[in-house]
Amino acid sequence: MTKASYFLIGFAVLGLVLNYFLNSYIHAILISFMINAVMALSLNFITGLADQFSLGHAGLMAVGAYTSAIISKELLADQWYFIPFTVVVAGLASAVLGFLVSLPSFKLKGDYLAIVTLGMAEIVRVLILNWNHVGGPRGYNAIVKFPGFLWSYSFGLLVLTITFVTFFRLKKSWFGRNLWALNEDDIAAEVMGLDLVKAKRSAFIISSFFAGVGGGVYAHHLGYISPSSFSFLISVQILIMAVLGGLGSMSGSIIAAFILTALPELLRSLPTGKVDIRMIVYPVILISMMILRPQGLLGRLELMEYLRMKKWNKS
Amino acid sequence: MEEFFQHTLNGLSFGSIYALVALGYTMVYGILGMINFAHSEIYMMGAFMCYYFALFMGFSAPSPINFTLGLLAASLAAGMIGYLVEKFAYKPLRNSPKMNSLITAIGVSILFQFGGQIIFGANPKSFPTLIEDKNLFEVAGSQIHLIDLLIYGVSALALVGLHFVIYKTQTGRAMRAVSTRSDMTPLMGIDNNKIISMTFIVGSVLAGIAAVLVSIKYPKIDPMMGNKIGMSAFVAAVFGGIGSLHGAIIGGLLLGVGEYYLIGYGASTYRDALSFSVLIFILLFKPTGLFGSKMKEKI
Repeated sequence: MTKASYFLIGFAVLGLVLNYFLNSYIHAILISFMINAVMALSLNFITGLADQFSLGHAGLMAVGAYTSAIISKELLADQWYFIPFTVVVAGLASAVLGFLVSLPSFKLKGDYLAIVTLGMAEIVRVLILNWNHVGGPRGYNAIVKFPGFLWSYSFGLLVLTITFVTFFRLKKSWFGRNLWALNEDDIAAEVMGLDLVKAKRSAFIISSFFAGVGGGVYAHHLGYISPSSFSFLISVQILIMAVLGGLGSMSGSIIAAFILTALPELLRSLPTGKVDIRMIVYPVILISMMILRPQGLLGRLELMEYLRMKKWNKS
Repeated sequence: MEEFFQHTLNGLSFGSIYALVALGYTMVYGILGMINFAHSEIYMMGAFMCYYFALFMGFSAPSPINFTLGLLAASLAAGMIGYLVEKFAYKPLRNSPKMNSLITAIGVSILFQFGGQIIFGANPKSFPTLIEDKNLFEVAGSQIHLIDLLIYGVSALALVGLHFVIYKTQTGRAMRAVSTRSDMTPLMGIDNNKIISMTFIVGSVLAGIAAVLVSIKYPKIDPMMGNKIGMSAFVAAVFGGIGSLHGAIIGGLLLGVGEYYLIGYGASTYRDALSFSVLIFILLFKPTGLFGSKMKEKI
């Protein structure tokens, strides 16, 4: 993992540089990139590897965000050094929800996970809307934040690294290969003795855990969450990141998350009135990608593998 | 009791709309095995096309002729849009993995919603009064409005028409054949692409009709109007057993009535969650839906 440690050191230095030389606008974008990357990785694991389509990652994220916010506000007296702990609890809460969602989803082959997760996200949103204690539609505010950019940057980087390494290693492990097998040909995989339902279910629970973690980081990054922060469009945004990077490519997800977090900020000056410009750019990217380059930027390969293959093809 | 009767009537009128939209989902799923997320946007476009048609023709006084013309215009326009969406977004992906067309469908849906906000404006528009609502008569203390009666009548007519197309014509037979064995139909001289386009057109026409019927009852249209009804109609399709025509109709009616009871008896803020809770229970206990055929996966 020497390359990884170079990356880490590089990122740490970058953080220090950014802290002193850039304004808080860039800081905020950087943190949201990390959150987006965690979400995209989490979706990529279930959709790219296991070929199960989830349309409700915003719902899982909402559960994580609200869990983390409520715990730190109600139980832990708004102390910022408990944030890592509450974020992990948030992940666990989402994982439990993920388990519940997986119960009806894998009874039949087909796109049922997409339907159930879509419904789950909607139910979660409606329940939060009707829950007055956490503000209902007004949102839940004054959630504790980290005291400074360096803290939140380091924490975000830590979460992103853990997420990336976990999924990267899982992809290369026996479990990841099981998922590849059922993605390629589920009947053959079943004949080889793979329990399809169990594999899909475990993959979805792991994915849900990290979605919840992403939600927790999100809550403590913004300090304010409301049901509308977790609408269907957020699920779509996460999906687009995973697809753009290449379904099955973990480093691709990070690159795509970076591009798609930076792009809308650059497009902010375009005159579109009240309409969110992202919602025009995203579907255009999505449709043209699917028609022109359906495998995404990197396909299934990781960045290093991709570069190596390019070099190989040239020589 | 009177209240109950009134809720049932309202529910049935909304349920028949769900049924019309659900048919579009179920037909496309039956023939392509794909959830057409853009269907709710075709519904939305139907309403907008009718709105602009009425503006263009300068309809001022409500009359039955205007209503009929608006209905025709909306269904034609919706059919056309459905055809174009299929041709430009789904057809190039016919042979790629199903996931890709699903993702494209979501993209098309969002593009219509937000592109619509740019072109038509994000604020709701008030739909022209194509036909005047009157109180026709009373049954058991509930008032029967002309518009409700129209909704029942037109949707029943549309359903009968659909039944005729699917079960009595050559095209309908071909549609059923393609949805059963799409790999065999070319050998029988059926052009699969033509039949798939036809299915999209028929489904979209039904969505266009549904859009006008809803808009005369609730005369506010906006580019996001398809969202809610699309999801409920999709649930109705799964509820009835996706791929089954009669299932979609029954599912739509049941869901509409259920939602109106929920609204009528005081839990209206949970309305959006109802359809999905129904969905999850259905998938837990009877995953094929009410009328879905239990297809064994072939090895």
